Amino acid sequence: MIEFFQHAITGLMIGSLYALVAAGIVLVYKATHVVSLAHGQLVAFGALFFWLFLGGLGLPFWLSLVPAFVLTALLGLLIERLALRPLIGQPLFAAFLMTFAIFIALEGVFVLYLKGETRTLPAFLPEGNLDISGISIPINQLISFCVAVLLFAAVSLLFKYTKLGLGMRATAEDHRLAQSTGIIVKNIFSYIWILSAMVAAVAGIATANVMDIYYMLPYIGISGLIVAICGGLDSLLGALVVGLLLGFVENVGAAYLDPLVGGGVKDVAAYVVLLAVLLIRPYGLFGLVKIERI
Amino acid sequence: MLTLNNIEVIYSDVILVLKGVSLDVKEGNIVALLGANGAGKTTALKSMSGLLKTELGEVTDGTIEFEGKRIDRKIPEEIVRMGIVQVMEGRPLFEQLTVEENIKVGAYSRNDTIEIKKDMEEVYQYFPILGNMRHRISGYLSGGERQMLVMGRGLMARPKLMLLDEPSLGLSPTLVKEIFRIIELINKEQNTSILVVEQNAFVALSISDHAYVMENGRIVLDGPSSKLKENEDIKEFYLGLSQVGKRKSYKDVKHYKRRKRWLS
Repeated sequence: MIEFFQHAITGLMIGSLYALVAAGIVLVYKATHVVSLAHGQLVAFGALFFWLFLGGLGLPFWLSLVPAFVLTALLGLLIERLALRPLIGQPLFAAFLMTFAIFIALEGVFVLYLKGETRTLPAFLPEGNLDISGISIPINQLISFCVAVLLFAAVSLLFKYTKLGLGMRATAEDHRLAQSTGIIVKNIFSYIWILSAMVAAVAGIATANVMDIYYMLPYIGISGLIVAICGGLDSLLGALVVGLLLGFVENVGAAYLDPLVGGGVKDVAAYVVLLAVLLIRPYGLFGLVKIERI
Repeated sequence: MLTLNNIEVIYSDVILVLKGVSLDVKEGNIVALLGANGAGKTTALKSMSGLLKTELGEVTDGTIEFEGKRIDRKIPEEIVRMGIVQVMEGRPLFEQLTVEENIKVGAYSRNDTIEIKKDMEEVYQYFPILGNMRHRISGYLSGGERQMLVMGRGLMARPKLMLLDEPSLGLSPTLVKEIFRIIELINKEQNTSILVVEQNAFVALSISDHAYVMENGRIVLDGPSSKLKENEDIKEFYLGLSQVGKRKSYKDVKHYKRRKRWLS
């Protein structure tokens, strides 16, 4: 039994990373109805920027955190200004394809910089394990888990209760109608890409905390996308729940099924979850159902 | 306060929709814009509110002035802040938002929180039904309720001029009466000028001060509404009346295509 809980807890910790990655995708979708494929790249660059200052220049934690955030936010803003702003008011599919182009471009830059090497972050969070009746939890992962949950709460409140959040939800429904009510849609686009990039930086740093920065890192965006879709694309709660669920399924599944099928459960788990969820609930677990008037 | 001076509108660089439209809305007035489908009424409204640009339309000639300032090159967000709000045709709502959130979005261009609260209560007074369903998801409202909600949302921007695009579309006669009663009330109490595009010529002429008739991208007739109501052509084409007491023969039906020009 203890063994099961150990696997479950480890899974949940990993799941919080998926949830963080998915959060950025959900944010962009919630405010603009654009599904961003390039989010994994933002996450990877967030991690890389952080490494540049912490590992590369040897700056202390807080001093590395700030420029990493600023640079990632700038990258998000740059994407919005150059690639997505000209597409406001145009079909959403054009914007969706544009994010795919960005995916490929940034991917290229990332690989070009790393050249197949790996970068490892020096430990920047307290080491050690928390021991609860036989189950051990690494403290640094517990911290990043808590940060993830707090971040979700903060962003949800922003959307629900602030004027900016209201403007974002309105913009998501109809760009043109939003313009006609005086919402400056261009600004909403900028704000959300900055916010989403900052969340990506958090996700990147949290991910680099548990694994190396290498050329496959941007592909965590795919897991994030799966989580976002399962959760309903416009639901932050959905992203959190499904993210944790996916981590749980991956880890527990791998622990108990791998010996039976000979390995590889971890890689398939995400897609099995996606398939199962979409078959039962096409709008995702917590997605808004499109309103049809009869 | 709003003057269209001989404007020409072209969509996608090729489709000429408005061919020299001039019209004038005076402060505090209700002005009706009548015309058949495809005459260019909605395009005229969109040219005023700046929404043309998102549809690849462009004012290529002439000027639009609002309170002495040219607005034909401005973007919709700016025009809303200057005081023109368009209530679009088909009553588009933010369907996933609640009724109250929809109304709040209308005030997005303003920052005076206390006044916004007051105006919100005022909107609920004009449309008491909305007050009773503040927290309902607006996508499930009926046609009449939607019309009230889009008008309420428009009011929240405290417009000096409100552009209404077919407020009576698909509503029952009683509801049409109610909506137009409120339009008149808003015009009087808020001193909001109103430009209303309508198919229902009878109602539109009875509440407006002045009216324009459009056809094929041109204004073909205009005048005080009370006078237009008596105009033989208007009676014939828009109000469906013939001379009282006389038998109508299809031989006598004037087909307006036969006429070279309108008589005013």
